[in-house]
Amino acid sequence: MNTTAVLPLRVRSLATSAATRLLPPEPLDYAAHRALYGDLPPVDGERLIAGVEYSGLSGQGGAAFPAHRKMTAVREAARRAGRRPVVVANGSEGEPASAKDKALLWLAPHLVLDGVALAAAAVGADRAFLAVEAGHGLGRYVTEVGRQRPSAAVPVTIVEVPPRFLSGQESALVSFLNGGPAVPRFQARPVFERGVGGGPTLVQNVETLAHLALIARHGPAWYRSVAGTTLFTVRYADGAPTVVEAAPGTSLEHLTGAGATAGQAVLVGGYHGTWLPLASASAAGSGARMYGVNAVTPDTGISAETLGVPLGAGLLALLPHDRCGLVETASILRYLALESAGQCGPCLNGLPRMAAAFSELAHPTDRSDMNQIRADLSRWAGLITARGACRHPDGSARLARSALITFAAEADAHAHGHCSAPNRPPMLPTAPATP
Amino acid sequence: MNSAVIWYAGQATGIVTLVLFSAVMVLGISVRRQLRIPGMPRLAAVALHRSISLLAVAFLAVHILTAVVDSYVDISPLAAVVPFSSSYEPLWVGLGAVALDLILAVVITSLLRARLGRRTWRAVHWLAYACWPVAVLHGITMGSGTGHPMSGWPLWLTIGCIAVVMGAVAWRVAEERRALTPADILATAPAHRVSQGPAVPARQYANATYEKESR
Repeated sequence: MNTTAVLPLRVRSLATSAATRLLPPEPLDYAAHRALYGDLPPVDGERLIAGVEYSGLSGQGGAAFPAHRKMTAVREAARRAGRRPVVVANGSEGEPASAKDKALLWLAPHLVLDGVALAAAAVGADRAFLAVEAGHGLGRYVTEVGRQRPSAAVPVTIVEVPPRFLSGQESALVSFLNGGPAVPRFQARPVFERGVGGGPTLVQNVETLAHLALIARHGPAWYRSVAGTTLFTVRYADGAPTVVEAAPGTSLEHLTGAGATAGQAVLVGGYHGTWLPLASASAAGSGARMYGVNAVTPDTGISAETLGVPLGAGLLALLPHDRCGLVETASILRYLALESAGQCGPCLNGLPRMAAAFSELAHPTDRSDMNQIRADLSRWAGLITARGACRHPDGSARLARSALITFAAEADAHAHGHCSAPNRPPMLPTAPATP
Repeated sequence: MNSAVIWYAGQATGIVTLVLFSAVMVLGISVRRQLRIPGMPRLAAVALHRSISLLAVAFLAVHILTAVVDSYVDISPLAAVVPFSSSYEPLWVGLGAVALDLILAVVITSLLRARLGRRTWRAVHWLAYACWPVAVLHGITMGSGTGHPMSGWPLWLTIGCIAVVMGAVAWRVAEERRALTPADILATAPAHRVSQGPAVPARQYANATYEKESR
């Protein structure tokens, strides 16, 4: 198959068996896909949902919501409303630092399409959409690839979604598919009851659906035994992202490969995520604590349980010692403020002010009152949390708070006119917000 | 009851209704995302909008009752509801009937808002903008109570009400035109956390050369 290269991506898989890995080394056409993974066994909707429940599969788009509960809710809502539901495969990552959904769609599109068919069977849908991020040629690529498949029982429409941070939010995606702007909507009734076309709608991340395709083949017990791997986007200093497939609980050292120990902190989960301090190998095993939070060491297993913070969409960004965490966070907060839909007060009024204050923390002047700035930021983070129609303010506040804790020493240094990374632009990407 | 008492009651309740509904209009107009009457929390504006409109409906009921009961001119109960069916001043009484019907639609849909859903309620609620001018016209044309147009201080009061409501509409339109975006707020967010004390010449800060919120 000769398709224009969609993504310049580094990909690494730590999966043990080729037949269970999400990321094959090369993009698979339908014949290669069937040769590697085998055909989908016939499934019964309700038994599939029961299997998903046993497997423990949760959403891989960031919120980690149990997949079977969403499916059951959609199935029940459709039964109550007496109409067929819609399945939406969510591949609109939106986050500039993350690349795992794009890599998955590029390398194993048929696994995702298998998952769409399975999810449709599980909830009894008669229509499906696959939303991909615009600007990478993925829409055309997946459409071409889809033509290789025999005509499906449930037609799948491929849709390119604007590459904005909030585009992938559930209600934003539904609004876009309904012909509206891709911004989060206040939901009088949830998407699983009233989504695309006003009908019950199942929105699942593409990686979740790829997992579903593997669970249908290898059984829920296989997935439950942690043989199932998951996708991470790892970012090192300045480099392109590396998408890594690894089992949950794989150590940071193993997951990131060489260079993991050379950082001062790691951003876990994404731009709505958490900065955690990174301790050296010598501190490993001694329960390293820094600034009152558990430091990550090279042998720390990467899972939400061991880290104590949500893994979000699986971003792990390593901050080297010659970088400034405050500069990075200020840049991200500015991006998040500009990406706000500006619909709810906490977001519209809170995020730009927090971004401006954080920028002052990162680049103070002689007259900056650093203690006051830090106090204001903590207070505002509390004020904006849990008050928006979506979780954009909550995630941004989480990032700001974790940076204030993890980079407390850096902030003290800034107060005295020192910075770890003088005159260096931020390393983490913030795509320009286009109107 | 004495016919003069009924006449005065009708005149008085008409004027009070005009003032109350004008206040209701202004409060309703002010309940927008980026609007606020200075010194009044938005919640209070919503609550006042609701209570004053119900009060106004009570005055309106008395106003209509006196018009029907007053035996000096013949306005039947039907003429109060069906526009332009009155034998006395069919056009001007009819305007009042139109305004009454519109108000009833707005009030009833508001009371049933939970059942109707937001969209239907909102669509009907826009009728308020049609209702108020019609009611004002009814007041100006019949307001003297003598068969002549309104004059004297009631006229000036009416003009004042028109000015205030028109001002509120203009304010709303202007504010909606310059709705703030996050980028606007980011651009104007001041570096306000400046410590007290004398300003010292800026020391060359290590990072000062790059990206100082240039928007």
